[in-house]
Amino acid sequence: MFLDLHSHSTSSDDSRATVEQFVKWAGVIRRKGFRIDGFVLTEHRKFDFDKDYSQLARDNDLLILKGSELDTNCGHFLVYGVTEELTSRVNFADVSMDASTLVNAALECGGIAVPAHPGRFGIGFCEFVDNGSDFSAVSVVEHLNGSNRPGEQERAEELIAKKGYKTIGGSDAHSVSAIGACMTSFDNPIADAADLVRELRAGAYRPVRLEETST
Amino acid sequence: MTTDADIEYDRSLLGVEHPVGTFEVTQDMIVDFARSTGETNPVYLDEEQAAQSRYGGIIAPPTFCNIFISGGKRPDPGIKFGDLSFFAGQAIESLRPVRPGDTLEASTRLKEVYAKTGRSGKMVFAVWETSLTNQKDETVALVRESFVRRNRSRR
Repeated sequence: MFLDLHSHSTSSDDSRATVEQFVKWAGVIRRKGFRIDGFVLTEHRKFDFDKDYSQLARDNDLLILKGSELDTNCGHFLVYGVTEELTSRVNFADVSMDASTLVNAALECGGIAVPAHPGRFGIGFCEFVDNGSDFSAVSVVEHLNGSNRPGEQERAEELIAKKGYKTIGGSDAHSVSAIGACMTSFDNPIADAADLVRELRAGAYRPVRLEETST
Repeated sequence: MTTDADIEYDRSLLGVEHPVGTFEVTQDMIVDFARSTGETNPVYLDEEQAAQSRYGGIIAPPTFCNIFISGGKRPDPGIKFGDLSFFAGQAIESLRPVRPGDTLEASTRLKEVYAKTGRSGKMVFAVWETSLTNQKDETVALVRESFVRRNRSRR
């Protein structure tokens, strides 16, 4: 199962792509002979409890899940399995929140927090991983990111090789045609956010580029 | 800890409408604007062809509203962050056609101020939303403009 685990719709302040446009582009991807089974909307510094894409997803044979991308004092983190309990414990708008507190809180609330684009200059986890904070609860990082600039992928790969993290992929799409550029291939089926968290914590998966999904 | 609540600025401006001005729209203004931006669509340029369109006459291109807004004065929210400020983009939501003869009333308000982090470090964004209303009290467009403040040097 191929899921893009990192995307931003117009609900984020810096994206011009609507969810409906992402869905249409997923259809384009399929018609081109590639695979995409769904995507996770990881909006910046927020979680959209009020938005429901289940009908849109069903109508288009896609899985559309919601998550968040949060700014922390140690870079950006993707959060899956967001609950009201987690949003009551962590201020999602706090751009300097303590990263290890977020990671632990996510786990305690039934979710998982994953460093996004860890090789990114300025806001990548690789710049903070050895700063003395306790990151023992970090087990997964984003390996493939569709918005990486030159050098950032290599920095991520160095970190992964050094720490032995499990890895995911996501497009980091902020525009329509970027959706699906990088995804995560899961061995087991995923139907909802709980499945996704379960698989990320203990399942088998690997990052893939769109070109690798050719049918 | 830096939250939106911690950003120092004049919160009394939030959501408060400030008049921008009243503007008369003429056909010449629309046609001149359309030509200057390279438009070829006859609904912006040709009275006869536009009359046959679903609009029933000439209308203004969506970005036409900018001629009334750009350079307009607005209060300074006095954000206490960073030593560099610049325009960070604009989104125009066109709600109804603007036509020759319309009288547009524009007002602007500070919609939100928020922080984010990127490759260049922390940034604070101020978003102003300007609404343009016609003589029938219909809102024809909403223009959201973002201004960012950040530090000159990398973190």
